[in-house]
Amino acid sequence: MKYDFLDADVLARLGALPVESRLAMIGNVVGKHRSPHRGSSVEFAEYRKYVQGDDTRRLDWKAFARSDRYYIKEFEADTNLRAYFLVDCSGSMNFASGEHDTKIQYARKLAASLSYLLVNQGDAAGLSCCTDTLHLEIPPSRRPAQLQIIFDTLANIVPTGETGLIGALHTVAEKIGQRALVVIISDLFTDPAALADALQHLRFRKHDISVFHLMDQQEIDFDFNRPYRFVDLEDGTSVVAEPNLIAEEYAAALQEFFRDVEAACHDVHADYHLVTTNQNYEDIMRDFLTARLPKQGRG
Amino acid sequence: MTFLQGSLLYGLFALSIPVIIHLLNRRRFRTVKWAAMQFVLKATRESRGKKRLKQIIILTCRALAIAALIFAISRPMLGGFLGWGSGKIDTVVLILDRSPSMERREADGQPVKRESVLARVATAMQELDGARLVLIDSATNEAQDIPSPDVLLELSTTGPTDAAADIPGLLSTAIEYLQEAKPSRSEIWIASDLQRTDWSPDDPRWAAFRAGLDELQPQLVQLRILSLNSRKRNDYAITTLAARREAGELLLDLELTREEDAGPATLPVTYNINGARSASTIQIEGQSIRFQKRLPLEGQSDGGYGWVAIPTDTNSRNNVSYYAFGAEAPAYAYYVHEDGVPDEVIEALGRAAAPGLPNQELTVLPENLGHQVDWERASLVVWQAALPTGPVAEQLLKFIQTGGVAVFLPPAQDSENSFGGISWGAVTESADGRYFIVKEWNHQDGPLRDGVDGTPVPLQRLRAILRREISGDTTELAEWDDGSTLLGRRIIDNGTALFLNTLPDYSWSNLEQTAVHLVALQRSLNLGSQRHGAGFFAIAGQSNAQPEAEEIRSRLDAYSKGDPANADYEAGVYKFGERIVAVNRSSSEDSLGQTSNPDLDTALAGTNFQLFEESSTTGDPLVREAWRAFLVAMLLLLIAEALLCLQPRRPLALPPTPQPST
Repeated sequence: MKYDFLDADVLARLGALPVESRLAMIGNVVGKHRSPHRGSSVEFAEYRKYVQGDDTRRLDWKAFARSDRYYIKEFEADTNLRAYFLVDCSGSMNFASGEHDTKIQYARKLAASLSYLLVNQGDAAGLSCCTDTLHLEIPPSRRPAQLQIIFDTLANIVPTGETGLIGALHTVAEKIGQRALVVIISDLFTDPAALADALQHLRFRKHDISVFHLMDQQEIDFDFNRPYRFVDLEDGTSVVAEPNLIAEEYAAALQEFFRDVEAACHDVHADYHLVTTNQNYEDIMRDFLTARLPKQGRG
Repeated sequence: MTFLQGSLLYGLFALSIPVIIHLLNRRRFRTVKWAAMQFVLKATRESRGKKRLKQIIILTCRALAIAALIFAISRPMLGGFLGWGSGKIDTVVLILDRSPSMERREADGQPVKRESVLARVATAMQELDGARLVLIDSATNEAQDIPSPDVLLELSTTGPTDAAADIPGLLSTAIEYLQEAKPSRSEIWIASDLQRTDWSPDDPRWAAFRAGLDELQPQLVQLRILSLNSRKRNDYAITTLAARREAGELLLDLELTREEDAGPATLPVTYNINGARSASTIQIEGQSIRFQKRLPLEGQSDGGYGWVAIPTDTNSRNNVSYYAFGAEAPAYAYYVHEDGVPDEVIEALGRAAAPGLPNQELTVLPENLGHQVDWERASLVVWQAALPTGPVAEQLLKFIQTGGVAVFLPPAQDSENSFGGISWGAVTESADGRYFIVKEWNHQDGPLRDGVDGTPVPLQRLRAILRREISGDTTELAEWDDGSTLLGRRIIDNGTALFLNTLPDYSWSNLEQTAVHLVALQRSLNLGSQRHGAGFFAIAGQSNAQPEAEEIRSRLDAYSKGDPANADYEAGVYKFGERIVAVNRSSSEDSLGQTSNPDLDTALAGTNFQLFEESSTTGDPLVREAWRAFLVAMLLLLIAEALLCLQPRRPLALPPTPQPST
């Protein structure tokens, strides 16, 4: 393939799994996802009393015969899914230890593969890339050509600067007029409280939120055996520290961060996945897709 | 602490190595571009304080481990005696107390104190290889180079003696030696039992010693005292106070003492006279008992010798006492009276001085012939006249100083003469129809003491009409009922001057009827006669215990063989030419007085001395190599450092991915 972040075999294997929404979507065309509106699909939804103006063709005559009342028989409406991929492009996403992918490389794989699967099943996919100074936005579209645009954009991302994730989330929340699936792919190195606010904003707009929290294993282990000068990938500030001496405090701070982020996601019923870049992204995606499958038919 | 390889202590500069490495490590950091910077910054902020303290502790452990290693390879010598603060020692001056009190054996099978300390000094000197050992022993008081500490116990100059130790004198000798030898770093070790009579802490020579130490600067001299003053067992001692002929027998005045009053005890005593042995038992209550022993001479008129012994106990040196006595000779008494004394008085005093007992001779002289007294052979002089002046007074004083006894009786005539600061006052007469009677007198000491069987002299029967007051400083032995002195005593060197202030004259008192004056004069005669017997006694270590020029010494007694090399300082009966002398240990060696720590602080003020009090029964060496302890310390420090560095890292578990609710 032209793009190193796409693997045809992986896409073929994952193609059997649909990308489902956990919430009812409001699309502009008929699709395979639930809609909050009543429509003409084969799925029975409910009875309601006939009111003047209703289409008489939808009267349930059998119910009238039994109860001598007019009832309208309503069916679910199916619509398409619009997904927004919000990829953090700050400098910290450029970190990798050893032979593993950088976090941005890993993010490319996730975003590109999911976009492919969505467009392939007739849904729309869009992309938003953010830093503190940059905010690229590709509106969602279900056209096959959309994939090309998304892939090119992902391929050309150069992580730099400080994170602008919070601002980007608020922007996305305001811009997307209809319910959508918002997939956040970031290391979330920002203020957890501000992150919680931004997620609440998204949730308020009734979006289905999924979070891929990317971490490098070394960022978790913090396994160094000599003094290091740590240079911030985002703003270039540095500090000399002896990892042996601060390992305990580092681990505690990291645990607190994980706890806060997880709580923020939990509060908005977000689909939270803590992912380390040494994990196989196919497994991560399979778990993600499988977990979103309806457990007992629809509803 | 002493280090045998002191130069290696320069390696202590290596203590800075961990600190330098730490600082270099902080400089030699690597750079890593890091994403999770917010956690590094937070961790760095929070790790200040206790983490820094921990780091300091780790660095300290490393530095101390290096120090312990340096100390270990410097071969430290550790021991309570040497203690801390010593460096490489050039010379050790050992002052050895060889007095009899150092011959105590605190437990059966163990060496005596002197041997114990010598063994430990020998071990210590082997550890201090290269140090020169100089011995100054209490008997010879001479500095002697000891070629090898191994021979310490074999030297005659470290053997036992009966001579008292003069510690201030020994220290003076040590100072003289150090002034001459000028070692750069030396130590004076004093091995002694701190017996107070040997140390004489009030002796003015201590000040001279302190000044001598100051003058030795810049030489470094450390003073250490190995005190062997433990007394775990009771010790009995026998002493011969006097030996004299009396009525064909030898009368021995003996004293048995013990350190602790352990209740009544019966002790066998062995007597040897001219080789013939006899034995008896003596019961002792309290700490001491004085008793007399009469040994038959069986017509022997020549002089003789012998010894008195008790069973060997804690200290064998004081379990025997030697004596010698001369050929039969009368005790001479002189009676000098003033003119006009009634014949009855002269007769009464003459009878009292020579009541007819064998071997007593009395010469009566008028006052103006007082110079005819044979001062050499006299034992007692009764002076009933104005106190002598001029040459006669000088001769009388010398007679007293050499052990004679003078009894002064009041003259009838007033006189302003004085003798030794004592003079006769006015004659006092009792009130009409009343007498002067005796209020109290000394029953334990003096010529009016109770008899051996406890019977008091009948002094309560004495009635006096006249008396002449005694002016001057005397010890009151008997007192009239109005507080005036009846009998006063002045000890002058080896002799005694007695002042009795009434006369055996019916116009003065009924002394003649009570015969109290007879008892007093006979006892005074006995006491005075000891000045002749004293020629047969000597104290070990003193000049009279050594033969004079052209005299050959040979030991007569068979109690012990002794060490001929130490004959000058050993007790025994010796023949010096034609003389026989019984040499005994000094009575001060039986003294229980100890030199206290405050005494030492005073005597050695400013000398920074170190006192090592050690039980003589323990076999602990004075010094021992302590490198093992330092290696163990180093190991423990490294383990501590490792534990601090290798604290368990808790693996950071990823939190489970929450399952969103739909």
